[in-house]
Amino acid sequence: MIRRTIDAVVVGGGSAGLAAALRLREAGATVAMVEREPFLGGILLQCIHSGFGLQEFGEDLTGPEYAERFIRPALNAGIEMYLDATVTEIGEDATGRSVTALSRAVGVVRFSARAVVLAMGCRERNRGNVAIAGTRPAGVLTAGLAQRLVNIEGCVPGKNVVIVGSGDIGLILARRLTLVGCTVRAVVEIQSYPSGSVRNIAQCLNDYSIPLHLGHVVTRIEGRDRVEAVRVAPLQDGRPLTGREFRIPCDTVLLSVGLIPENELSRAAGVPINEGTAGPWVDADMMTGARGIFACGNVLHVHDLVDFVTEEARRCADRAAAYLKGDPREEMIPVKAGANVRSIVPNACAPGRRNVLYLRSLVVKNDALLELSAGGEKLRTKRLAHVQPSEMIRFGLEAGAIQNINSGTALEVALR
Amino acid sequence: MSAENAIRPAGVDLVCIACPIACRLIVTASGGGDATVSGNRCPRGEAYGSEEVRAPKRILTAVVPTDSAQFPCAPVRTDRAIRRELVKSLLSELYRQRVALPVRQGQVLMEDFDGARVVFTRTLPPDEIPSVGEPRAEAEGEDQVPGLQEAL
Repeated sequence: MIRRTIDAVVVGGGSAGLAAALRLREAGATVAMVEREPFLGGILLQCIHSGFGLQEFGEDLTGPEYAERFIRPALNAGIEMYLDATVTEIGEDATGRSVTALSRAVGVVRFSARAVVLAMGCRERNRGNVAIAGTRPAGVLTAGLAQRLVNIEGCVPGKNVVIVGSGDIGLILARRLTLVGCTVRAVVEIQSYPSGSVRNIAQCLNDYSIPLHLGHVVTRIEGRDRVEAVRVAPLQDGRPLTGREFRIPCDTVLLSVGLIPENELSRAAGVPINEGTAGPWVDADMMTGARGIFACGNVLHVHDLVDFVTEEARRCADRAAAYLKGDPREEMIPVKAGANVRSIVPNACAPGRRNVLYLRSLVVKNDALLELSAGGEKLRTKRLAHVQPSEMIRFGLEAGAIQNINSGTALEVALR
Repeated sequence: MSAENAIRPAGVDLVCIACPIACRLIVTASGGGDATVSGNRCPRGEAYGSEEVRAPKRILTAVVPTDSAQFPCAPVRTDRAIRRELVKSLLSELYRQRVALPVRQGQVLMEDFDGARVVFTRTLPPDEIPSVGEPRAEAEGEDQVPGLQEAL
């Protein structure tokens, strides 16, 4: 076993991990990065479509291009890289945190680190998470797996495809599969509105005349060895109208039914998880409830835009660097999701400096009012032209904006 | 491909695809065959709206087959939007390729297709990880790495 003593271990070499590790190095910290795949870049590498980097670089980049903007500097930043390596445990030792990793090249590595940055990303919800009835034939895959097959491995998952869920991954995959010669028979969405961006409805579905069934549910998957068809019915008051059920013949069903932050490692390390995001609870320093363990990117909460992952990872690294230097920690005010807010990150604000908050709405609404209050007293409001659950809302709070809140009172963020 | 968006006096409703904000655009005919775009928040929206009603253009991304078993696909893109009706013919040209690795991001695969260049978007095989501080066999055992730790 190899033992290493180091300032920070970054778990995951995708967009969040790369940005955090680079920023920690810039601050002078020694950094080890552990990545499960034999190369850096994470999920961006299979996202070959464009649309990345408009905020960060003012350019329209593809996923691999965006990733290489961080990989190249990371290779020359003096980060200790452990690729093809898996973290198996995060614990405690005399230095602070112990991180155990299994590397194909060097065997077991045990780090003694003072800070750990969780950047493991998320995983896809599967058939079991959405409970679709029917047989269990081959040909039922998650959308991200199909994307990997088509874009990295060079295989096509099937010929006639039905996509369940209208999230961005599903929409982009619908276009991608059409371009490789598959027929996308339909995209079926249980909600009455698309979960992906309107932009992707326009350029991925409408461009190729792919039917979108809103307010419909797949009631059954048919087929013995291979998928033969799905049955689809409209929903009324949350129940499928079986009288209006129809059958779509297909050989492949792709599930794009949501993402879950991947926190098995965090949970085992005693990191408290926030119910709203399924990611760790974090304060304004992006520190979880376990001292010295920080989190950023999709492991913390699922983002829509990688540009915001980068931004969040840098902020996380800045605070982790301050922690490593022993900067005093500011008294924080807890942040609470109020009416119509599904989740909010971070879960505490530092009144003495600028805070950036990300939240998700529970409702679809035009002309919404974002309202900040504490102890029943209204502090701030902001008009938002349109809110919907699939589009993350980001807003900044200048230093001093929440100065006069009594200790013990939470800052409540609501949408009206 | 969807039906042509002819400019009608009442205007055409579009969703701008230039960036994720996705402005709702109204494109109306103005004098001399020109189009007037409203609802856009930036100049890209205006360009997209007026182009979309005449000759829609799209960035195309795809993967081309390689000679490598380890990395069988090399992702590529057009460096600018091409006419949407030409997407199919570019794809069939791309699928006929068999690219020899290595390739670097930005390397040109096709110099001119409808005024666009087709470039590789990923360096394959990926650049080697330099062995900075990488523990070799002799690094076995306790190894203190200097850093912020010393500032304490």
